[in-house]
Amino acid sequence: MTEPGDGSEFERARRASDERALVESAKHGSTAAFEALYRNHVGKVYGLCLRMTANRATAEDCTQEAFIQAWRNLPSFENRSAFGTWMHRIAVNAVLAQGRRRREQPGDDASVDEAADRLPDPGIGDDGDVIDLEQAIARLPAGARQVLVLVGLYGHSHEEAAAMLGLAVGTCKSQLHRARDLLGRRLAAEESAS
Amino acid sequence: MNSDRTDPATRLEDALSRLPQCVEPPRDLWPAIEARLEPRATIARRRWLWPAAAAAVLLIGASSLITATLLRRDEVAAVRRADAPAGVAATVAAFGPGQALGPSYLAARQELARSLEARIGRLPPEGRRQLEKNLAELRRASAEINAALELRPGDPLLEELLLNVYQDELAVLASVNQLTGGSGAGATTDPTRMQL
Repeated sequence: MTEPGDGSEFERARRASDERALVESAKHGSTAAFEALYRNHVGKVYGLCLRMTANRATAEDCTQEAFIQAWRNLPSFENRSAFGTWMHRIAVNAVLAQGRRRREQPGDDASVDEAADRLPDPGIGDDGDVIDLEQAIARLPAGARQVLVLVGLYGHSHEEAAAMLGLAVGTCKSQLHRARDLLGRRLAAEESAS
Repeated sequence: MNSDRTDPATRLEDALSRLPQCVEPPRDLWPAIEARLEPRATIARRRWLWPAAAAAVLLIGASSLITATLLRRDEVAAVRRADAPAGVAATVAAFGPGQALGPSYLAARQELARSLEARIGRLPPEGRRQLEKNLAELRRASAEINAALELRPGDPLLEELLLNVYQDELAVLASVNQLTGGSGAGATTDPTRMQL
């Protein structure tokens, strides 16, 4: 997975170094350092949770839970991956745990339409095409949506996404195919209607 | 959507790539998060509770099994002492004053000693290999789950799996106990059921 960033190599290295320092301080109990980490990563974490759950309130809960879990488990974080990647995995786990609590199985479409009506989030922007696409993603079946979000939007490999979602790689690929197919048809239908 | 492009799949990919990865939450979530952050010392104390509980379960189970096995060995030892040429007094003492041990009982005890010894020492190589294999697999599984827990810290599913592996390990130990003394010829030559 690639880290967000548009600066030079030097700038990226400086940011990584700063982040390591923040992680070390937070490990030793600094909530100020952890708040800085939160500010740096909340957009990506919330974006992931929002797209995966298709529900704003649930996405907020998952985002909070993810950061609380990160705080609890930070002492065992050994910088083998970037903090953002680690945080991303915790966020996916938070979404899946939330789904288990709600007995929501992948493929269960209950409440998706209702949730999709509440999307897009105000933070997404006001580009009409983007809004259409966000709404179409939110209306996808949960299993297909989660794979599309992880692989299609956040750049995970099928292997990574399958491991995170507890799926076979083949299932992951077929879910992505299904998601793209459904999205394409829905967007085409909306285009022809407008 | 960009209607300049004719290929729907390409247009979809383009549109997906334009979606921002970052979406700011509609409200600041930090105050609610900060209110739930526990001091590091509290977390460190609680972090030890779960593995300590699992270890305690394992320890209690294992020590019970060891005790049971040792008790069975004591039975064997008592029988062996009784088998000794000068052990008549000792056997009388073992079964109460004034009790005389007839030849049939002595023979039965010898049989029991043989069968217990055989059961302990004659665990089928296959069974022994299987038990060793099972234990090795369980230990490998617990190592892998621990490694996965490092990647998915606090994952309740993984923690549950780890606890299950510990319990399975206990079950294997219990089966060792059963195989070495829980059933078989010993049941028919149990000294407590013997008619003296």
